[in-house]
Amino acid sequence: MIPPGYFFILSVVLFSLGIIAFFLKRDLITQFMAIEIMLNAANLAFLALAGSSNFLDAQVIVFFIITVAAAEAAIGLAIVLLIFRKKKTIKTETLNSMKG
Amino acid sequence: MNSFGATVPLLLIVGGALLVFLLEAFLKKENKNYLAYVSLFALIGCGILSAKAWNAGRSYFDGMLRLDNPALFLTFLFLIAVAFVILIGMKYISMQDANHGEFYGLLLLALSGLMIMVSSTNLIVIFLGLEVLSVSSYALAGLKRKDDKSSESAIKYFLMGSFASAFLVFGMAILFGTAQTLDISGLIAFFKTGPDNQVLSLVGFGLVLVGLAFKIAIVPFHMWAPDVYEGAPTPVTAFFSVGPKAAGFAVLIRLLAPYWNAGFGSAKLFAFLWALAALTTLVGSLIALRQKNIKRMLAYSSIANGGYMLIAVLAGDGTALLFFLTTYVFMSIGAFGSLIALTGNGREYNELEDFAGIGFKYPWIGAIFAVFLLSLAGFPPTGGFLAKFYVFVGAVRQGLTSLVLIAVLASLISVYYYLRIVVYMYMREPEREVSIELENPALYLVLFLSLYGVLQLGIFPGNVLYLIKQAVSALF
Repeated sequence: MIPPGYFFILSVVLFSLGIIAFFLKRDLITQFMAIEIMLNAANLAFLALAGSSNFLDAQVIVFFIITVAAAEAAIGLAIVLLIFRKKKTIKTETLNSMKG
Repeated sequence: MNSFGATVPLLLIVGGALLVFLLEAFLKKENKNYLAYVSLFALIGCGILSAKAWNAGRSYFDGMLRLDNPALFLTFLFLIAVAFVILIGMKYISMQDANHGEFYGLLLLALSGLMIMVSSTNLIVIFLGLEVLSVSSYALAGLKRKDDKSSESAIKYFLMGSFASAFLVFGMAILFGTAQTLDISGLIAFFKTGPDNQVLSLVGFGLVLVGLAFKIAIVPFHMWAPDVYEGAPTPVTAFFSVGPKAAGFAVLIRLLAPYWNAGFGSAKLFAFLWALAALTTLVGSLIALRQKNIKRMLAYSSIANGGYMLIAVLAGDGTALLFFLTTYVFMSIGAFGSLIALTGNGREYNELEDFAGIGFKYPWIGAIFAVFLLSLAGFPPTGGFLAKFYVFVGAVRQGLTSLVLIAVLASLISVYYYLRIVVYMYMREPEREVSIELENPALYLVLFLSLYGVLQLGIFPGNVLYLIKQAVSALF
Protein backbone atom coordinates (compact mmCIF):
# COMPACT_ATOMS: atom_id res chain seq x y z
CA MET A 1 0.00 0.00 0.00
CA ILE A 2 1.17 3.53 -0.75
CA PRO A 3 1.65 5.49 2.50
CA PRO A 4 -0.77 8.45 2.93
CA GLY A 5 2.13 10.87 3.34
CA TYR A 6 2.93 10.50 -0.36
CA PHE A 7 -0.58 11.60 -1.25
CA PHE A 8 -0.15 14.67 0.91
CA ILE A 9 3.08 15.55 -0.90
CA LEU A 10 1.26 15.12 -4.20
CA SER A 11 -1.51 17.44 -3.00
CA VAL A 12 1.02 20.11 -1.99
CA VAL A 13 2.64 19.86 -5.42
CA LEU A 14 -0.75 20.19 -7.15
CA PHE A 15 -1.68 23.16 -4.97
CA SER A 16 1.59 24.93 -5.77
CA LEU A 17 1.15 24.22 -9.50
CA GLY A 18 -2.32 25.76 -9.23
CA ILE A 19 -0.93 28.94 -7.63
CA ILE A 20 1.83 29.22 -10.23
CA ALA A 21 -0.59 28.72 -13.11
CA PHE A 22 -3.00 31.27 -11.64
CA PHE A 23 -0.32 33.95 -11.68
CA LEU A 24 1.41 33.03 -14.93
CA LYS A 25 -1.51 32.39 -17.24
CA ARG A 26 -3.22 35.28 -18.95
CA ASP A 27 -6.63 33.97 -19.86
CA LEU A 28 -9.68 33.53 -17.71
CA ILE A 29 -10.46 29.87 -18.42
CA THR A 30 -6.93 28.69 -17.62
CA GLN A 31 -6.89 30.73 -14.42
CA PHE A 32 -10.20 29.18 -13.49
CA MET A 33 -8.77 25.70 -14.18
CA ALA A 34 -5.86 26.56 -11.88
CA ILE A 35 -8.33 27.33 -9.10
CA GLU A 36 -10.11 24.01 -9.70
CA ILE A 37 -6.76 22.21 -9.40
CA MET A 38 -6.13 23.99 -6.09
CA LEU A 39 -9.55 22.95 -4.77
CA ASN A 40 -8.97 19.35 -5.80
CA ALA A 41 -5.53 19.42 -4.20
CA ALA A 42 -7.33 20.37 -0.99
CA ASN A 43 -9.66 17.39 -1.45
CA LEU A 44 -6.70 15.08 -1.81
CA ALA A 45 -5.07 16.61 1.27
CA PHE A 46 -8.25 16.03 3.29
CA LEU A 47 -8.23 12.34 2.41
CA ALA A 48 -4.47 11.90 2.79
CA LEU A 49 -4.33 13.53 6.23
CA ALA A 50 -7.57 12.21 7.66
CA GLY A 51 -6.15 9.15 9.39
CA SER A 52 -8.16 5.97 9.83
CA SER A 53 -10.39 7.24 12.69
CA ASN A 54 -11.58 10.32 10.80
CA PHE A 55 -11.71 8.96 7.28
CA LEU A 56 -15.49 9.06 7.05
CA ASP A 57 -15.63 12.74 8.08
CA ALA A 58 -13.02 13.58 5.48
CA GLN A 59 -15.01 11.81 2.76
CA VAL A 60 -18.15 13.79 3.62
CA ILE A 61 -16.18 17.05 3.61
CA VAL A 62 -14.76 16.17 0.18
CA PHE A 63 -18.29 15.81 -1.17
CA PHE A 64 -19.14 19.27 0.18
CA ILE A 65 -16.09 20.76 -1.51
CA ILE A 66 -16.92 19.07 -4.82
CA THR A 67 -20.41 20.61 -4.63
CA VAL A 68 -18.97 24.04 -3.89
CA ALA A 69 -16.56 23.70 -6.81
CA ALA A 70 -19.46 22.79 -9.09
CA ALA A 71 -21.46 25.83 -7.98
CA GLU A 72 -18.43 28.04 -8.55
CA ALA A 73 -17.92 26.54 -12.00
CA ALA A 74 -21.53 27.29 -12.93
CA ILE A 75 -21.36 30.92 -11.92
CA GLY A 76 -17.78 31.40 -13.10
CA LEU A 77 -18.34 30.08 -16.61
CA ALA A 78 -21.46 32.22 -16.90
CA ILE A 79 -19.43 35.31 -16.03
CA VAL A 80 -16.63 34.33 -18.44
CA LEU A 81 -19.25 33.92 -21.16
CA LEU A 82 -20.61 37.38 -20.35
CA ILE A 83 -17.10 38.83 -20.76
CA PHE A 84 -16.54 36.91 -24.00
CA ARG A 85 -19.79 38.16 -25.53
CA LYS A 86 -18.76 41.74 -24.83
CA LYS A 87 -15.06 41.73 -25.69
CA LYS A 88 -14.78 38.69 -28.02
CA THR A 89 -11.75 37.62 -26.03
CA ILE A 90 -11.01 36.20 -22.58
CA LYS A 91 -7.48 37.57 -22.22
CA THR A 92 -7.02 39.30 -18.88
CA GLU A 93 -5.18 42.29 -20.41
CA THR A 94 -8.48 43.58 -21.76
CA LEU A 95 -9.94 43.93 -18.27
CA ASN A 96 -8.52 47.33 -17.49
CA SER A 97 -11.36 49.84 -17.46
CA MET A 98 -10.83 50.69 -13.78
CA LYS A 99 -7.62 52.13 -12.36
CA GLY A 100 -6.27 53.95 -9.31
CA MET B 1 -37.27 23.00 19.60
CA ASN B 2 -35.56 20.25 17.67
CA SER B 3 -32.71 20.75 15.24
CA PHE B 4 -34.91 21.18 12.20
CA GLY B 5 -37.08 23.70 14.02
CA ALA B 6 -33.95 25.78 14.61
CA THR B 7 -33.34 26.12 10.90
CA VAL B 8 -36.75 27.65 10.21
CA PRO B 9 -35.52 31.31 10.21
CA LEU B 10 -32.85 30.33 7.72
CA LEU B 11 -35.27 28.34 5.57
CA LEU B 12 -37.61 31.33 5.55
CA ILE B 13 -34.90 33.43 3.92
CA VAL B 14 -34.00 30.74 1.38
CA GLY B 15 -37.70 30.09 0.69
CA GLY B 16 -38.24 33.83 0.21
CA ALA B 17 -35.39 33.90 -2.29
CA LEU B 18 -36.83 30.99 -4.28
CA LEU B 19 -40.29 32.58 -4.23
CA VAL B 20 -38.80 35.82 -5.56
CA PHE B 21 -37.07 33.95 -8.40
CA LEU B 22 -40.33 32.21 -9.23
CA LEU B 23 -42.47 35.37 -9.10
CA GLU B 24 -39.97 37.23 -11.28
CA ALA B 25 -41.08 35.04 -14.17
CA PHE B 26 -44.77 35.81 -13.72
CA LEU B 27 -44.96 39.46 -12.65
CA LYS B 28 -45.48 42.26 -15.13
CA LYS B 29 -42.77 44.88 -15.35
CA GLU B 30 -44.71 47.59 -13.52
CA ASN B 31 -45.43 45.23 -10.59
CA LYS B 32 -41.82 44.24 -9.89
CA ASN B 33 -41.84 46.18 -6.61
CA TYR B 34 -43.90 43.35 -5.12
CA LEU B 35 -40.71 41.28 -5.17
CA ALA B 36 -39.15 43.75 -2.74
CA TYR B 37 -42.17 43.45 -0.43
CA VAL B 38 -41.96 39.63 -0.50
CA SER B 39 -38.26 39.85 0.45
CA LEU B 40 -38.97 42.33 3.24
CA PHE B 41 -41.66 40.01 4.64
CA ALA B 42 -39.16 37.14 4.67
CA LEU B 43 -36.68 39.37 6.52
CA ILE B 44 -39.26 40.44 9.13
CA GLY B 45 -40.42 36.85 9.68
CA CYS B 46 -36.84 35.72 10.12
CA GLY B 47 -36.21 38.55 12.59
CA ILE B 48 -39.23 37.66 14.73
CA LEU B 49 -38.38 33.96 14.82
CA SER B 50 -34.72 34.65 15.62
CA ALA B 51 -35.64 37.02 18.44
CA LYS B 52 -37.24 34.12 20.30
CA ALA B 53 -33.89 32.36 20.57
CA TRP B 54 -32.20 35.37 22.24
CA ASN B 55 -30.48 34.42 25.51
CA ALA B 56 -31.31 30.72 25.02
CA GLY B 57 -27.86 30.01 23.58
CA ARG B 58 -28.55 26.50 22.27
CA SER B 59 -26.77 24.53 19.65
CA TYR B 60 -28.21 22.08 17.15
CA PHE B 61 -27.05 19.35 14.77
CA ASP B 62 -24.32 18.17 17.18
CA GLY B 63 -22.96 21.67 17.57
CA MET B 64 -22.83 22.42 13.84
CA LEU B 65 -25.45 25.17 14.21
CA ARG B 66 -25.06 27.45 17.23
CA LEU B 67 -27.73 30.04 17.85
CA ASP B 68 -25.90 31.87 20.63
CA ASN B 69 -26.26 35.58 21.35
CA PRO B 70 -23.39 36.85 19.18
CA ALA B 71 -24.75 34.88 16.23
CA LEU B 72 -28.25 36.28 16.78
CA PHE B 73 -27.00 39.84 17.26
CA LEU B 74 -25.12 39.67 13.97
CA THR B 75 -28.14 38.06 12.31
CA PHE B 76 -30.27 41.05 13.32
CA LEU B 77 -27.59 43.38 12.03
CA PHE B 78 -27.54 41.55 8.68
CA LEU B 79 -31.34 41.61 8.49
CA ILE B 80 -31.31 45.39 8.99
CA ALA B 81 -28.50 45.84 6.47
CA VAL B 82 -30.18 43.72 3.78
CA ALA B 83 -33.54 45.42 4.35
CA PHE B 84 -31.80 48.79 3.88
CA VAL B 85 -30.04 47.57 0.75
CA ILE B 86 -33.30 46.30 -0.73
CA LEU B 87 -34.99 49.64 -0.02
CA ILE B 88 -32.20 51.77 -1.50
CA GLY B 89 -32.05 49.45 -4.51
CA MET B 90 -35.72 49.44 -5.52
CA LYS B 91 -35.70 52.57 -7.65
CA TYR B 92 -32.04 52.25 -8.62
CA ILE B 93 -32.55 48.84 -10.22
CA SER B 94 -35.31 50.06 -12.52
CA MET B 95 -33.41 53.26 -13.38
CA GLN B 96 -30.24 51.35 -14.26
CA ASP B 97 -32.17 48.75 -16.25
CA ALA B 98 -31.06 45.71 -14.23
CA ASN B 99 -33.28 42.75 -13.33
CA HIS B 100 -35.34 43.04 -10.16
CA GLY B 101 -35.79 39.37 -9.29
CA GLU B 102 -32.10 38.56 -9.41
CA PHE B 103 -31.25 41.49 -7.17
CA TYR B 104 -33.67 40.63 -4.35
CA GLY B 105 -33.31 36.87 -4.65
CA LEU B 106 -29.51 36.85 -4.70
CA LEU B 107 -29.41 39.31 -1.81
CA LEU B 108 -31.55 36.95 0.25
CA LEU B 109 -29.33 33.98 -0.66
CA ALA B 110 -26.24 35.99 0.26
CA LEU B 111 -27.94 36.82 3.57
CA SER B 112 -28.51 33.12 4.25
CA GLY B 113 -24.78 32.56 3.67
CA LEU B 114 -23.97 35.32 6.16
CA MET B 115 -26.31 33.77 8.74
CA ILE B 116 -24.73 30.33 8.33
CA MET B 117 -21.25 31.85 8.69
CA VAL B 118 -21.94 33.54 12.00
CA SER B 119 -24.03 30.75 13.54
CA SER B 120 -21.51 27.96 13.45
CA THR B 121 -18.27 27.13 15.19
CA ASN B 122 -17.28 24.41 12.78
CA LEU B 123 -14.89 25.62 10.10
CA ILE B 124 -16.39 23.45 7.37
CA VAL B 125 -19.88 24.87 7.98
CA ILE B 126 -18.39 28.37 8.08
CA PHE B 127 -16.75 27.61 4.73
CA LEU B 128 -20.05 26.46 3.23
CA GLY B 129 -21.77 29.64 4.46
CA LEU B 130 -18.95 31.71 3.03
CA GLU B 131 -19.36 30.00 -0.36
CA VAL B 132 -23.13 30.52 -0.41
CA LEU B 133 -22.38 34.18 0.26
CA SER B 134 -19.58 34.39 -2.31
CA VAL B 135 -21.34 32.63 -5.17
CA SER B 136 -24.35 34.93 -4.86
CA SER B 137 -22.05 37.94 -4.49
CA TYR B 138 -20.24 37.18 -7.77
CA ALA B 139 -23.56 37.27 -9.59
CA LEU B 140 -24.68 40.40 -7.71
CA ALA B 141 -21.53 42.28 -8.76
CA GLY B 142 -22.34 41.63 -12.42
CA LEU B 143 -25.98 42.57 -12.16
CA LYS B 144 -25.79 45.43 -14.68
CA ARG B 145 -25.21 43.12 -17.60
CA LYS B 146 -24.89 45.84 -20.23
CA ASP B 147 -22.33 47.76 -18.22
CA ASP B 148 -18.68 46.87 -18.94
CA LYS B 149 -17.45 47.89 -15.51
CA SER B 150 -20.02 45.74 -13.78
CA SER B 151 -19.06 42.59 -15.71
CA GLU B 152 -15.41 43.32 -15.12
CA SER B 153 -15.95 43.66 -11.40
CA ALA B 154 -17.86 40.35 -11.40
CA ILE B 155 -15.03 38.43 -13.06
CA LYS B 156 -12.39 40.02 -10.83
CA TYR B 157 -14.39 39.26 -7.72
CA PHE B 158 -14.97 35.70 -8.92
CA LEU B 159 -11.31 34.96 -9.69
CA MET B 160 -9.89 36.48 -6.52
CA GLY B 161 -12.71 35.14 -4.37
CA SER B 162 -12.38 31.53 -5.48
CA PHE B 163 -8.57 31.79 -5.34
CA ALA B 164 -8.97 32.81 -1.69
CA SER B 165 -11.46 29.98 -1.10
CA ALA B 166 -8.87 27.49 -2.34
CA PHE B 167 -6.38 28.79 0.25
CA LEU B 168 -9.03 28.56 2.94
CA VAL B 169 -9.90 24.97 2.06
CA PHE B 170 -6.30 23.83 1.79
CA GLY B 171 -5.55 25.38 5.17
CA MET B 172 -8.55 23.58 6.62
CA ALA B 173 -7.35 20.29 5.14
CA ILE B 174 -3.98 20.67 6.87
CA LEU B 175 -5.61 21.72 10.16
CA PHE B 176 -7.99 18.76 9.92
CA GLY B 177 -5.03 16.47 9.32
CA THR B 178 -3.08 17.67 12.35
CA ALA B 179 -5.87 18.42 14.84
CA GLN B 180 -8.35 15.77 13.59
CA THR B 181 -11.18 18.25 14.16
CA LEU B 182 -12.47 21.44 12.59
CA ASP B 183 -14.54 22.64 15.54
CA ILE B 184 -13.13 25.92 16.87
CA SER B 185 -13.10 24.83 20.53
CA GLY B 186 -11.41 21.58 19.50
CA LEU B 187 -8.80 23.50 17.54
CA ILE B 188 -8.10 25.81 20.48
CA ALA B 189 -7.70 22.83 22.81
CA PHE B 190 -5.36 21.26 20.26
CA PHE B 191 -3.20 24.37 20.08
CA LYS B 192 -3.08 24.60 23.87
CA THR B 193 -1.56 21.13 24.26
CA GLY B 194 1.31 22.02 21.93
CA PRO B 195 0.79 20.11 18.69
CA ASP B 196 2.91 17.25 17.42
CA ASN B 197 3.25 18.63 13.90
CA GLN B 198 3.94 22.18 15.01
CA VAL B 199 5.07 23.75 11.76
CA LEU B 200 2.43 22.00 9.67
CA SER B 201 -0.47 23.01 11.90
CA LEU B 202 0.71 26.62 11.98
CA VAL B 203 0.97 26.63 8.17
CA GLY B 204 -2.61 25.35 7.99
CA PHE B 205 -3.85 27.99 10.43
CA GLY B 206 -1.96 30.67 8.52
CA LEU B 207 -3.55 29.59 5.22
CA VAL B 208 -7.02 29.76 6.78
CA LEU B 209 -6.27 33.29 8.02
CA VAL B 210 -4.95 34.35 4.60
CA GLY B 211 -8.11 33.02 2.94
CA LEU B 212 -10.27 34.99 5.36
CA ALA B 213 -8.09 38.10 4.96
CA PHE B 214 -8.74 38.00 1.19
CA LYS B 215 -12.47 37.93 1.77
CA ILE B 216 -12.47 40.87 4.20
CA ALA B 217 -9.95 42.85 2.11
CA ILE B 218 -7.04 43.16 4.52
CA VAL B 219 -3.93 44.75 2.95
CA PRO B 220 -2.00 43.18 1.11
CA PHE B 221 -4.90 40.93 0.09
CA HIS B 222 -7.16 43.81 -0.90
CA MET B 223 -6.32 44.31 -4.61
CA TRP B 224 -9.74 43.16 -5.82
CA ALA B 225 -11.80 45.37 -3.50
CA PRO B 226 -11.54 48.83 -5.17
CA ASP B 227 -12.35 47.48 -8.65
CA VAL B 228 -15.24 45.38 -7.40
CA TYR B 229 -16.68 48.20 -5.30
CA GLU B 230 -16.40 50.66 -8.18
CA GLY B 231 -17.90 48.43 -10.85
CA ALA B 232 -20.72 46.78 -8.91
CA PRO B 233 -24.16 48.46 -8.80
CA THR B 234 -24.14 50.94 -5.90
CA PRO B 235 -26.68 49.14 -3.61
CA VAL B 236 -24.66 45.95 -4.08
CA THR B 237 -21.50 47.85 -3.17
CA ALA B 238 -23.22 49.02 0.00
CA PHE B 239 -23.97 45.38 0.79
CA PHE B 240 -20.37 44.26 0.06
CA SER B 241 -18.97 46.93 2.32
CA VAL B 242 -20.92 45.69 5.36
CA GLY B 243 -22.13 42.09 4.98
CA PRO B 244 -19.10 39.95 4.10
CA LYS B 245 -16.89 42.16 6.24
CA ALA B 246 -18.99 41.82 9.39
CA ALA B 247 -19.31 38.05 8.97
CA GLY B 248 -15.59 37.62 8.30
CA PHE B 249 -14.61 39.57 11.39
CA ALA B 250 -17.15 37.65 13.49
CA VAL B 251 -15.47 34.40 12.41
CA LEU B 252 -12.02 35.89 13.09
CA ILE B 253 -12.86 36.95 16.63
CA ARG B 254 -14.44 33.58 17.43
CA LEU B 255 -11.32 31.89 16.17
CA LEU B 256 -8.64 34.22 17.47
CA ALA B 257 -9.82 35.71 20.78
CA PRO B 258 -9.49 32.41 22.69
CA TYR B 259 -6.35 31.54 20.71
CA TRP B 260 -4.33 34.62 21.76
CA ASN B 261 -4.12 33.61 25.42
CA ALA B 262 -2.62 30.17 25.44
CA GLY B 263 -2.40 28.98 21.88
CA PHE B 264 0.80 27.50 20.50
CA GLY B 265 2.55 29.88 18.10
CA SER B 266 0.14 32.69 18.92
CA ALA B 267 2.96 35.22 19.38
CA LYS B 268 4.07 34.78 15.75
CA LEU B 269 0.56 35.00 14.28
CA PHE B 270 -0.16 37.96 16.56
CA ALA B 271 2.87 39.82 15.19
CA PHE B 272 1.81 38.92 11.63
CA LEU B 273 -1.72 40.27 12.11
CA TRP B 274 -0.37 43.30 13.99
CA ALA B 275 1.62 44.23 10.91
CA LEU B 276 -1.39 43.61 8.65
CA ALA B 277 -3.60 45.84 10.82
CA ALA B 278 -1.07 48.68 10.72
CA LEU B 279 -0.65 48.29 6.94
CA THR B 280 -4.40 48.13 6.34
CA THR B 281 -5.25 51.34 8.18
CA LEU B 282 -2.35 53.26 6.64
CA VAL B 283 -2.50 51.98 3.05
CA GLY B 284 -6.31 52.23 2.93
CA SER B 285 -6.23 55.86 4.08
CA LEU B 286 -3.25 56.91 1.96
CA ILE B 287 -4.51 55.51 -1.35
CA ALA B 288 -7.97 56.92 -0.70
CA LEU B 289 -6.37 60.38 -0.75
CA ARG B 290 -5.80 60.34 -4.49
CA GLN B 291 -9.15 58.91 -5.61
CA LYS B 292 -11.35 61.02 -7.86
CA ASN B 293 -14.20 58.52 -7.93
CA ILE B 294 -16.25 58.63 -4.75
CA LYS B 295 -17.26 54.98 -4.91
CA ARG B 296 -13.62 53.98 -5.23
CA MET B 297 -12.70 56.32 -2.38
CA LEU B 298 -15.37 54.72 -0.19
CA ALA B 299 -13.90 51.32 -1.14
CA TYR B 300 -10.50 52.36 0.25
CA SER B 301 -12.23 53.86 3.25
CA SER B 302 -13.91 50.50 3.82
CA ILE B 303 -10.49 48.81 3.64
CA ALA B 304 -9.15 51.26 6.23
CA ASN B 305 -12.17 50.60 8.45
CA GLY B 306 -11.37 46.89 8.17
CA GLY B 307 -8.02 47.78 9.74
CA TYR B 308 -9.73 49.28 12.79
CA MET B 309 -11.89 46.17 13.12
CA LEU B 310 -8.75 44.03 12.94
CA ILE B 311 -7.33 46.03 15.85
CA ALA B 312 -10.40 45.10 17.90
CA VAL B 313 -9.82 41.44 16.94
CA LEU B 314 -6.17 41.70 18.00
CA ALA B 315 -7.25 43.12 21.35
CA GLY B 316 -9.82 40.32 21.65
CA ASP B 317 -12.39 43.02 22.35
CA GLY B 318 -15.77 41.66 21.21
CA THR B 319 -17.77 44.61 22.55
CA ALA B 320 -15.77 47.17 20.60
CA LEU B 321 -15.89 45.03 17.45
CA LEU B 322 -19.65 44.54 17.53
CA PHE B 323 -20.23 48.22 18.29
CA PHE B 324 -17.96 49.22 15.42
CA LEU B 325 -19.76 46.83 13.06
CA THR B 326 -23.18 48.13 14.13
CA THR B 327 -22.16 51.74 13.58
CA TYR B 328 -20.43 50.88 10.32
CA VAL B 329 -23.60 49.30 8.93
CA PHE B 330 -25.48 52.58 9.40
CA MET B 331 -22.74 54.93 8.20
CA SER B 332 -21.67 52.90 5.20
CA ILE B 333 -25.17 52.15 3.92
CA GLY B 334 -26.04 55.79 4.60
CA ALA B 335 -23.07 57.03 2.58
CA PHE B 336 -23.76 54.72 -0.36
CA GLY B 337 -27.47 55.58 -0.09
CA SER B 338 -26.57 59.26 -0.47
CA LEU B 339 -24.62 58.34 -3.61
CA ILE B 340 -27.72 56.56 -4.92
CA ALA B 341 -29.79 59.67 -4.17
CA LEU B 342 -27.63 61.34 -6.81
CA THR B 343 -28.52 59.06 -9.70
CA GLY B 344 -30.59 59.90 -12.72
CA ASN B 345 -32.24 57.75 -15.34
CA GLY B 346 -29.53 55.41 -16.59
CA ARG B 347 -26.85 57.73 -15.19
CA GLU B 348 -24.74 57.75 -12.09
CA TYR B 349 -22.73 60.61 -10.67
CA ASN B 350 -19.70 59.27 -8.82
CA GLU B 351 -16.92 61.69 -9.74
CA LEU B 352 -15.77 64.29 -7.25
CA GLU B 353 -16.53 67.11 -9.73
CA ASP B 354 -20.16 66.00 -9.94
CA PHE B 355 -20.52 66.90 -6.28
CA ALA B 356 -19.50 70.54 -6.67
CA GLY B 357 -22.29 72.73 -5.34
CA ILE B 358 -24.61 69.83 -4.54
CA GLY B 359 -24.96 71.13 -0.98
CA PHE B 360 -26.87 74.17 -2.22
CA LYS B 361 -28.72 72.56 -5.08
CA TYR B 362 -30.06 69.66 -3.00
CA PRO B 363 -29.68 70.89 0.61
CA TRP B 364 -31.20 67.83 2.31
CA ILE B 365 -29.20 65.21 0.48
CA GLY B 366 -26.03 67.27 0.88
CA ALA B 367 -26.53 67.73 4.63
CA ILE B 368 -27.30 64.06 5.27
CA PHE B 369 -24.34 62.91 3.17
CA ALA B 370 -22.13 65.32 5.12
CA VAL B 371 -23.24 63.76 8.42
CA PHE B 372 -22.35 60.26 7.20
CA LEU B 373 -18.96 61.47 5.98
CA LEU B 374 -18.26 63.16 9.31
CA SER B 375 -19.26 59.96 11.08
CA LEU B 376 -16.91 57.91 8.88
CA ALA B 377 -14.18 60.42 9.67
CA GLY B 378 -14.89 59.94 13.38
CA PHE B 379 -16.24 63.30 14.51
CA PRO B 380 -18.35 63.52 17.69
CA PRO B 381 -21.30 63.41 18.33
CA THR B 382 -21.75 60.74 15.65
CA GLY B 383 -21.51 56.99 16.13
CA GLY B 384 -18.27 56.85 14.16
CA PHE B 385 -16.47 58.71 16.92
CA LEU B 386 -17.58 56.39 19.71
CA ALA B 387 -16.91 53.29 17.59
CA LYS B 388 -13.29 54.28 16.99
CA PHE B 389 -12.96 55.45 20.60
CA TYR B 390 -14.03 52.07 22.02
CA VAL B 391 -11.71 50.18 19.66
CA PHE B 392 -8.74 52.37 20.56
CA VAL B 393 -9.39 52.31 24.32
CA GLY B 394 -9.81 48.54 24.30
CA ALA B 395 -6.58 48.15 22.34
CA VAL B 396 -4.60 50.45 24.65
CA ARG B 397 -5.82 48.43 27.64
CA GLN B 398 -4.32 45.34 25.99
CA GLY B 399 -1.02 47.16 25.54
CA LEU B 400 -1.30 47.80 21.80
CA THR B 401 -0.34 51.47 22.20
CA SER B 402 1.92 51.78 19.15
CA LEU B 403 -0.68 50.14 16.90
CA VAL B 404 -3.30 52.58 18.20
CA LEU B 405 -0.94 55.48 17.45
CA ILE B 406 -0.63 54.29 13.83
CA ALA B 407 -4.41 53.91 13.59
CA VAL B 408 -5.02 57.41 14.99
CA LEU B 409 -2.57 58.78 12.44
CA ALA B 410 -4.40 56.93 9.67
CA SER B 411 -7.75 58.24 10.81
CA LEU B 412 -6.33 61.78 10.85
CA ILE B 413 -5.30 61.26 7.22
CA SER B 414 -8.77 59.97 6.45
CA VAL B 415 -10.35 63.19 7.73
CA TYR B 416 -8.82 64.94 4.72
CA TYR B 417 -10.49 62.89 2.03
CA TYR B 418 -13.86 62.73 3.77
CA LEU B 419 -13.91 66.46 4.31
CA ARG B 420 -12.81 67.09 0.74
CA ILE B 421 -16.21 65.87 -0.45
CA VAL B 422 -17.94 68.18 2.03
CA VAL B 423 -15.79 71.05 0.77
CA TYR B 424 -16.75 70.24 -2.82
CA MET B 425 -20.42 70.10 -1.89
CA TYR B 426 -20.51 73.41 -0.06
CA MET B 427 -17.63 75.57 -1.25
CA ARG B 428 -17.51 75.08 -5.00
CA GLU B 429 -19.61 76.39 -7.80
CA PRO B 430 -21.42 73.67 -9.76
CA GLU B 431 -19.33 72.71 -12.79
CA ARG B 432 -21.33 69.98 -14.42
CA GLU B 433 -24.96 69.51 -15.26
CA VAL B 434 -26.40 66.95 -12.85
CA SER B 435 -29.98 65.78 -13.38
CA ILE B 436 -31.16 63.46 -10.67
CA GLU B 437 -34.37 61.60 -9.99
CA LEU B 438 -35.81 63.05 -6.80
CA GLU B 439 -38.86 60.88 -6.19
CA ASN B 440 -37.54 57.92 -4.22
CA PRO B 441 -39.40 57.54 -0.87
CA ALA B 442 -37.87 54.16 0.07
CA LEU B 443 -34.38 55.62 -0.24
CA TYR B 444 -35.27 58.64 1.90
CA LEU B 445 -36.66 56.31 4.56
CA VAL B 446 -33.34 54.47 4.70
CA LEU B 447 -31.35 57.72 4.76
CA PHE B 448 -33.48 58.96 7.64
CA LEU B 449 -33.20 55.68 9.59
CA SER B 450 -29.43 55.51 9.04
CA LEU B 451 -29.09 59.12 10.15
CA TYR B 452 -31.11 58.30 13.25
CA GLY B 453 -28.94 55.21 13.84
CA VAL B 454 -25.67 57.11 13.50
CA LEU B 455 -26.81 59.86 15.89
CA GLN B 456 -28.44 57.48 18.38
CA LEU B 457 -25.27 55.39 18.52
CA GLY B 458 -23.20 58.52 18.97
CA ILE B 459 -25.27 60.24 21.63
CA PHE B 460 -27.22 57.51 23.48
CA PRO B 461 -25.36 54.25 22.79
CA GLY B 462 -26.60 52.68 26.06
CA ASN B 463 -29.35 50.42 24.68
CA VAL B 464 -27.23 48.98 21.93
CA LEU B 465 -24.25 48.55 24.24
CA TYR B 466 -26.48 46.63 26.67
CA LEU B 467 -27.49 44.22 23.89
CA ILE B 468 -23.87 43.91 22.74
CA LYS B 469 -22.70 43.13 26.28
CA GLN B 470 -25.33 40.38 26.47
CA ALA B 471 -24.11 39.08 23.13
CA VAL B 472 -20.41 39.15 23.97
CA SER B 473 -20.84 37.42 27.31
CA ALA B 474 -21.79 34.31 25.34
CA LEU B 475 -18.94 34.68 22.87
CA PHE B 476 -16.17 32.89 24.71
